[in-house]
Amino acid sequence: MDAHAHEHPNSSPPVAGLLAQFASPEALRAAAAAVRAAGWTRWDVHSPFPIHGIDRAMGLRPSPLPWLVLGAAVVGVVLALAMQLWMNGIDYPLIISGKPLLSLPTSVPIMFELGVLLAAIAAFVGAIALGGLPLYGHPVFFSSRFSRASTDGFFIFLAADDQRFEPISAQALLRSAGAVSVETLQVDEASGRVPGGLYWILATAVVLALLPPVLVTWYRTGPKSNPRIHLIQDMDFQEKYRPQSASPLFADGRATRPTVPETIPQGRLQADEHLYTGKVAEQWVTTFPMQPTAAMMERGRERYGIFCTTCHGLVGEGGVSGITSARAVKRREPNWVLPLSLHTQSVREQPVGQLFHTITHGVRTMPALGAQIPAEDRWAIVLYVRALQRSQNATLDDVPEPIRSQLRPVSP
Amino acid sequence: MSNTTGAEKQTLLPATTAGAAAALLVVGLAGMACAAALEYGRGDQWRYFLHSYLVNFCFFTSLSLGALFFVLLQHVARAGWSVTVRRLAELLAANVVVMLVLFVPLAASVLAGQGTLYPWAAPHTAAADHAIEQKQAYLNPTFFVVRSVGYLVVWWLTARYLLRLSLRQDESHDAALTLSMERFSPLALILLVVTLTFASFDWLMSLWPHWWSTIFGVYYLAGAAVGFVALLIIFTVLLERAGPLTDQVTAEHYHDLGKLLLAGVAFWGYVAFSQYLLIWYANIPEETAWYQPRHGGPWGWMSLGLLAGHLALPLVGLLSRWPKRNRLSLTFWAVWLLVMHWIDLYWSVMPAYDPHQPPWALSDAFCLVGMGGVYLGALIWRCRGRSLVPLGDPRRQEALDFENY
Repeated sequence: MDAHAHEHPNSSPPVAGLLAQFASPEALRAAAAAVRAAGWTRWDVHSPFPIHGIDRAMGLRPSPLPWLVLGAAVVGVVLALAMQLWMNGIDYPLIISGKPLLSLPTSVPIMFELGVLLAAIAAFVGAIALGGLPLYGHPVFFSSRFSRASTDGFFIFLAADDQRFEPISAQALLRSAGAVSVETLQVDEASGRVPGGLYWILATAVVLALLPPVLVTWYRTGPKSNPRIHLIQDMDFQEKYRPQSASPLFADGRATRPTVPETIPQGRLQADEHLYTGKVAEQWVTTFPMQPTAAMMERGRERYGIFCTTCHGLVGEGGVSGITSARAVKRREPNWVLPLSLHTQSVREQPVGQLFHTITHGVRTMPALGAQIPAEDRWAIVLYVRALQRSQNATLDDVPEPIRSQLRPVSP
Repeated sequence: MSNTTGAEKQTLLPATTAGAAAALLVVGLAGMACAAALEYGRGDQWRYFLHSYLVNFCFFTSLSLGALFFVLLQHVARAGWSVTVRRLAELLAANVVVMLVLFVPLAASVLAGQGTLYPWAAPHTAAADHAIEQKQAYLNPTFFVVRSVGYLVVWWLTARYLLRLSLRQDESHDAALTLSMERFSPLALILLVVTLTFASFDWLMSLWPHWWSTIFGVYYLAGAAVGFVALLIIFTVLLERAGPLTDQVTAEHYHDLGKLLLAGVAFWGYVAFSQYLLIWYANIPEETAWYQPRHGGPWGWMSLGLLAGHLALPLVGLLSRWPKRNRLSLTFWAVWLLVMHWIDLYWSVMPAYDPHQPPWALSDAFCLVGMGGVYLGALIWRCRGRSLVPLGDPRRQEALDFENY
């Protein structure tokens, strides 16, 4: 027996435990069963590879890890669903591809991925934590034999803090279980303690890691005079051509490409002169290119409300009746020209074709709106403007017969 | 194993079961005759019968294909645990030769050019439809039959080669045969997946000649894997009780077969959803045409039933350790999933007959019993006098000692 145990009965440091080496996996399994039968609770086995049946021999209960993993997976799935429902359906409702705001099929891939991710993290972290790691030091590392636990050594370690621990009987137990050698390990106070510097390094790392999110949060909440921090540069400043910028790719150096000569893009053919120009044979038309209907009038009212009221006002009297005009006057904008009333004699006498042309191309300080408003909608607006003009210059004949009696004279 | 001759005798099918082969064949032919007789009265040029027949043809073919896939996979992975159940898979895979005979009615219907089963097979349909006309180079009766026979022959020869080597090893205990099978398997696996993909395109997808889905072959493979593992579990439980597999399988084997079943369920669900999500999201009429009849009404309920029965319930039911190690619960889920696999194929085929509702008929049952009788009868006939365990496999002891961590 080469048990070169350091026996210092009087002045020795406290005993950490006994380390016994065994010759084979089978011997280790049998010894583990013997130690378990003797009623030990604070002990462990070490082997270079997993040994079938060692968990049964040691009397280990089934690991709670599967339940941790399942719980994490369920949390991931529910979290992903809630996140998508909140973001797409409530916080920033955005219809994509005509799908419902709260759509389950589109959420499934993220639910699956987050479920897998959290399950994998739970398995990884859970396996480490349930194994009692991280551990800075362990008495077995002071045995020179123990390095063989990663190649061909099979060990049992009996910890001294077990209630049954008593050096002589524990040695006897291990030897009777077939140990090749038994070694008494001492608690090494100095090297078993975590160095104080490590805590400082960890604390510094945590503080440093917290700095970026704190800075970002500080910049993103509330107004700042400096631009916010651009975390993802190539999303905020994309490499792309802007209108009228230069490109070396083309001979004329322009990035914006003009239409190919003598071609018309798909859907841009405007062959109907009446519909698209408001003129026929260089003369303003006086009729609508389509049959006016109640639906067209309603469309015109809606489009007028969107595009015209900010300057011309709800009934078209111009001046400061529109909110843009009112604000410009209030701010004393030097170059602001008051919008015209649509009810003057000259405007009322204009043919509908000329009104259409004005909306399309603008006039004087009024901008052209042909690019924003489709031709059919422009005609609808013209129709509604005609209705407004009639409403502001109505005669008694315009009032339907049955309700004329309800009219009261207005005192001058 | 010291007593080899004793073990050899024990792993044979009991004499009484071997006698059942002829009875099953008779039952099968009678069932098929009943189905045909019932359908003769319908007067629809066998249209319903052929659809029902195709469901069962694809079902039993998939069981053999799943078996072939399993055998090849075990060799590619150099698996030791599965040796004691591998012979059953080898026999099931070789049984695909029966499908070559059972393909005759399908071939006849396509060659008749009436388009009763596949619309593209009728010349007038193709002439009236530009898209189908353009596909005639591939989708024409002669090429279809040549391809189909080609697939079946390739599968049969692959399975037969593996079975022969394995049987030879029973006698010789020659480890070199294992190496031969391992060298053969990777290429055979690629060939199997390619032929299986095209077979699913031809037999199932071309029921809708306008529609296509490149993942459809994987969908059929996933279903085949589930169906085969379910059947293997049922066979293993029965044979362990009857004798040939007693002392050859342990709870560890059931545990691993259960894991494969669970993996198959997840695989099927993943592929089925992958196919559905892209088509649903893009919402292009020519792509949604296949799902449109399955999206509402009675077919829609069956779709939801598959989602629950073929994915959600077995996924939860098989997740834990004990249901996979317990023979009773594992058998329950195996039977359940075998039924689900059949319903999955019914759901894949039958909307081509009636897009509004499942057209159940009594002849469906006769057709299933008929083809099942022929298939199982031939399988038992094939097992006659052959050990149901590869006794000469060098990894058999590893399989017997096998333990899950």
